[in-house]
Amino acid sequence: MSPYDPGEDVIEVIRAPAPGPIRGAYRVFGETLRGLKTTFARIVEGPTTIQYPEEKTPVYPRFRGRHKLHRFEDTGLEKCVGCSLCAAACPADCIRVVAAENTPEHRISAGERYAAVYEINISRCIFCGYCEVACPFDAITMGHDYEMSDYTRSDLIFTKEMLLAEPIERTPLRAEGE
Amino acid sequence: MPRPEHKTIQLTIDGREVTAREGMMLLDAAKHGDIEIPYFCYQPKLGNPVGACRMCLVEIEGIPKLQTSCSTPVKDGMVVHTETDRVRHAQNAIVEFLLVNHPLDCPVCDKGGECPLQDITFGWGLGRSRFIEPKRHFVKPLALSPLIAIDRERCILCYRCVRFSQEISEDYQLVFAERGADTLVATHDGHPYVAPFSGNIVELCPVGALTSRPYRFRARPWDNEGAGGICTLCPSQCNVELTVRDEKVMRVLARDHPEVDDGWLCDKGRFAYQSIHVDERITAPLARDGGSLREVSWERALELAGGLARHKGHVGALVGGQATNEEGFLLQRLLREGLGSNDIDSRGGGPVDVELARALAAPSLQASVPDIEFAHTVLVLGCEPLDDAPIIDLWIRKGVRRRGVQLAVASSRPSALDVNATFTVRYPPGAEAGFLAELDAALAGGDAPQDRRELASLLREVGEDVVILWGERLGAQALPALLSIAGRLGLADRPGAGLLEIPCGANGRGLREAGAVPDAGPGYRAVDAPGRGAAEIAGAAADGDVHALYLFQTDPVRELPDRGLWEQALHRASLVVAHASVLTEGLREHANVIFPAESYAEKEGTIVHPDGRLQRLRQAIAHPEQVRAGWSVLVDVARAVGQEMDVLTSSMAFAQLLAAVPFYEGLTLEAIGGRGLRWPAREQARAFPGGARPQAPGSEASDGRDAPAASDGQLRLGTYRPIWAAPEVEISPALHFAVAEQQLELSPRDAARLGLGHGETVVVAQNGKQLRAKAAVRTGVPPGTAFLAEGIAAQSANALTEPFVEVRKP
Ligand code: SF4
Ligand code: SF4
Ligand code: SF4
Ligand code: SF4
Ligand code: FES
Repeated sequence: MSPYDPGEDVIEVIRAPAPGPIRGAYRVFGETLRGLKTTFARIVEGPTTIQYPEEKTPVYPRFRGRHKLHRFEDTGLEKCVGCSLCAAACPADCIRVVAAENTPEHRISAGERYAAVYEINISRCIFCGYCEVACPFDAITMGHDYEMSDYTRSDLIFTKEMLLAEPIERTPLRAEGE
Repeated sequence: MPRPEHKTIQLTIDGREVTAREGMMLLDAAKHGDIEIPYFCYQPKLGNPVGACRMCLVEIEGIPKLQTSCSTPVKDGMVVHTETDRVRHAQNAIVEFLLVNHPLDCPVCDKGGECPLQDITFGWGLGRSRFIEPKRHFVKPLALSPLIAIDRERCILCYRCVRFSQEISEDYQLVFAERGADTLVATHDGHPYVAPFSGNIVELCPVGALTSRPYRFRARPWDNEGAGGICTLCPSQCNVELTVRDEKVMRVLARDHPEVDDGWLCDKGRFAYQSIHVDERITAPLARDGGSLREVSWERALELAGGLARHKGHVGALVGGQATNEEGFLLQRLLREGLGSNDIDSRGGGPVDVELARALAAPSLQASVPDIEFAHTVLVLGCEPLDDAPIIDLWIRKGVRRRGVQLAVASSRPSALDVNATFTVRYPPGAEAGFLAELDAALAGGDAPQDRRELASLLREVGEDVVILWGERLGAQALPALLSIAGRLGLADRPGAGLLEIPCGANGRGLREAGAVPDAGPGYRAVDAPGRGAAEIAGAAADGDVHALYLFQTDPVRELPDRGLWEQALHRASLVVAHASVLTEGLREHANVIFPAESYAEKEGTIVHPDGRLQRLRQAIAHPEQVRAGWSVLVDVARAVGQEMDVLTSSMAFAQLLAAVPFYEGLTLEAIGGRGLRWPAREQARAFPGGARPQAPGSEASDGRDAPAASDGQLRLGTYRPIWAAPEVEISPALHFAVAEQQLELSPRDAARLGLGHGETVVVAQNGKQLRAKAAVRTGVPPGTAFLAEGIAAQSANALTEPFVEVRKP
C-alpha cells in the first residue's frame, strides 16, 4: 500500500503479452500485420511525396514568407515613411530603419519623412508578422516566398531595394478550398 | 530671500493618506503619493501654474465643480478623488477636445514614442471623436529658427513655450498670436526665434509642435540609449543626458539637477554635440613632417612626444578648461616629476598668489548655485553670466523674478542683466582693481565716489545673505580687494552667503585643485620653486628659455591674450605636443605632435563645478576611430620620457588624486555618483590648507591704481568672450548661423562722433595691428569705451595688447 491514497488518479498500464512461444509468435506476426494494414490501405491514395525543389508546396494566402515593401500604384512613391513602428514591434529586433526628410526636389515617400535605410535581417526574423500588423501605412506585408537560404549571413540582410523590388513569385498559392 | 520654511500636512487622495508640504500643488502631492494625474501645461520649472489645458481636473470634497489640480494648493485634511465617473468623463472630454485640431500624424512626428499627448490619449482618452469637421491647417513644417521646427497643427496651446520665453529666459520673443480658434505660437513680428536658450522649448513642448531640426528624423526613442553626462563647454557644467544611437550622439537633453542647472540648457550645450561626429574632428595622431601635419601611428606619435625628455626643466604646459581633474593631475605629475618643471598653468585670468587663491577658495566662503536664488542681494562682478556661464544667468533671473532678490551689476561692459538689476555701476575696462578698492573703502565707511557708496549700502542694508558672483576675468590685481570686501560683508559666516567664481575654463576650479597651476600642487599645496604662469611661459618660450610646450586641449593663440607673443613662442619652441580635437590656427601652424583628444561624451573622469561640486563624466559612446583616453595617453607619454605613473585605469588616476588632495579625503566615485557632491559642504573640508575660513594673505591690498587716461579720439578697449566663441560651435553644422563674428560695441555718442552706423564695417587699430569688425551701437556702453570679442576664430581681440584702440572707417 502506498503511503497515501492515489484516489481516482490510478492509471492502468496495458502490458505486452507475457513471454512464451505462442505469445512470442503473435508479437512477431500479429502486430506487424496490424501495422501493414494501415500501410496497404494508403496505397490506393497514390504517393504524397513532393519532389522539392522541382515541385513546391502551395501555401495558404495568409502564409507569412519573405517581406515586401510597397509603393503607391499611382504615384510610385514609397508607402513607408520610416516611422520605425515595425522595428519597435519586432520581437527579434531584426529591422533597422534610419529615416530622413523628403524635400520637394527629392521626394521618396508620401509623408514628411522616408526610410533612408530599411533593412531586415532575415536570418533573425521569426516570421511572426508583427511588423505587418504594426505598420500604419500597409507599407510592409509578408509575402509568400519561403526560399531565402544563402551562402553568407551578410547576404541575408535584405535592404530596402531588395524588399521593394518586384519579388519573383516562386511559390504556388493554394487554391480556394484546397 | 532666505529659503522659506515648510510645514507638512496630511490629505486624502483616492482614499490614500498622503503627506505633502504646505503650499504644494495638488498634482505634485498626488505624484508624491504615487497617484497619477494626467497633465500637459503644468511644469513647476516654469513658475506659477497657468491652468491652460484642463487635463488635470479632479474632484475635491466640498467644492461643487471639478478643480485643476495643477493650480490648487493642498490644504490640511483635503479629500480628493481622481477616479470618479465625473472626473473620468471630464478627462475623456478634454482629450477629445485637445485632439479636435490635432493631425494625429504620429508616424511622421518626431515626438512619437515619447509624447505625453500619445500617452494620455491612450490612457485617459475614450478612443473616439465626434469631430467630423475639417481641422485647421497650416504650412508645415516651418522653421521657427535655424534650430527649431514648428508644426502648428500639432500645438495644443499649453503656453509652456511662451511662458519659457516670457518668464524664464526673458527674451520676450514668443507670443500667442491671434485669439480664439485662430491662436498660434509665433514670434511677435515673425522673425526667427533666435535666443541663447531657445532649445529648451523643444524639450518643454508636450507634443510634437516644436522639434529640434538637427535631430529631425534621426531616431526613435526605442532606437536610442540614454547616457548621463556633464556638458563641459562652459563652467555651468549642466547635467545632460546624451541620446545615443549606433555609438553616435544624436541629441542632448537636460538631466534636471535642481542645484546645478535647474533643468535648462543653453543652445551651445544642446546643439554643439554635433562637433563630436564631423569630419573636421581630429581622430588620429598627427605629426609634422616637412612643414605639414600628417597622420601617423600611435607608436610614432608617442615616440616623437618622448622627445620632451631632451628638454627636461625647460617644458611649459597649458591645460584647457575641458580637461578632467585626472588629466590635470597626471599632466602636472608628468611635468613636475617626469620633466622637472613647474611651468604649468590652467588659468585664463593671470597668475594668482597661492595664499590669495586659497583664501578665495576657502570652503566657508563658497556660495552654492541655489544660494543665488535665495540670497538677499546678488552682486554680479566683472562678468557676463550669459556669455561666461549661461545657466547662471537663468538662476539670477529666477531669483529676481520669483524670490525678490536684489540684483546689483558692476561691470565694465553692459550686461544682459542690467534691466533686472536694482543697481548698476560701470567702471572703465582695466579699472577693476581700482573699482573694488573704492567699493572696499566705501564699505569701510571711508571716502568713495557716490555710486560706490550707494552700492555699498545696498550690499549692507538689504540683508546679510549676499552672493558675489565674480569672473576670473576680473584679473588678479582686483582680488585682494575682493577678499577684503567679502570679509567686511561677513560672507564666510553665513551659509547662504559667499563668493561664487566663474572661471575661464569649464573645469577651471577642478584643475586648480588638481594642481595644474605653477605655484601650487594638488590641493593648493605650496611648491618649493613656483613655476611660470601662462603669460610668463609665452615670454620665456619666445626668448628661448622654454624649449618645449605641452598644450592639453587648448590653443593659446586662440584662447589666451597676446596672440602675437604666443605665435612667436610656438614658433620658437622646438617641440610642441598637443591634445586637440579641432585643428585651430596655432596648432595647424606650430604643433609638432597632435594626439586626438576625447570629447566630453567619451571621457571618464571627474570635474569640479565652480561651487565645489565634484561631478563625474561617464563614457557615453565608444572612442571614434583612433581616439584614445586622455589619461592613458598621458601615462604613455610619461613612459616615453622615462616616468612610471602606475595608472592603468581612470579610477586609479582618481585614487592618486584623492590621496594628494587632503580635502577630498574619503570621497569615492560611487559617492559622487550621478548627481555630484559639493566638497565644501563636507566635514573633511576642514582639511583645506589654511582651514575652512579664509585667511587674509600677507600681501597688501591693491593700490587702487586706476586705468590710464585716454589720449585724443581713442577708445578704451574692453574684451569679452561671447557664448558662441568655441571651436565646437564653429564645426557644428547646425550652429553655423551663430558663429561669433567680431563686432565692435560702442556708444551712440562715439558712433556719431566717428560717423559710424550700426552694422557698418570698421577698422580697429592699435600699435600697427589692425582688425576688422562690424560696428554695433549699444546704448549701455559708456562713451569713450569700446568692446571687442576675444577667443573667436577670425579677427579676435586676443591680438590687441594695449588698453586703447583707434577706430576708423576702412
Ligand atoms: S516578421 Fe516578426 S520577426 Fe520578422 S521582421 Fe517582422 S516583426 Fe520582426
Ligand atoms: S514599414 Fe511601416 S511601420 Fe515600418 S517604418 Fe515603414 S511605415 Fe513605419
Ligand atoms: S505630437 Fe504626439 S500625438 Fe501629436 S503627432 Fe506627434 S507624437 Fe503624435
Ligand atoms: S508649441 Fe508646444 S509648448 Fe508651445 S503652446 Fe503649443 S503645445 Fe505648448
Ligand atoms: S495641467 Fe492643470 S490645467 Fe494644464
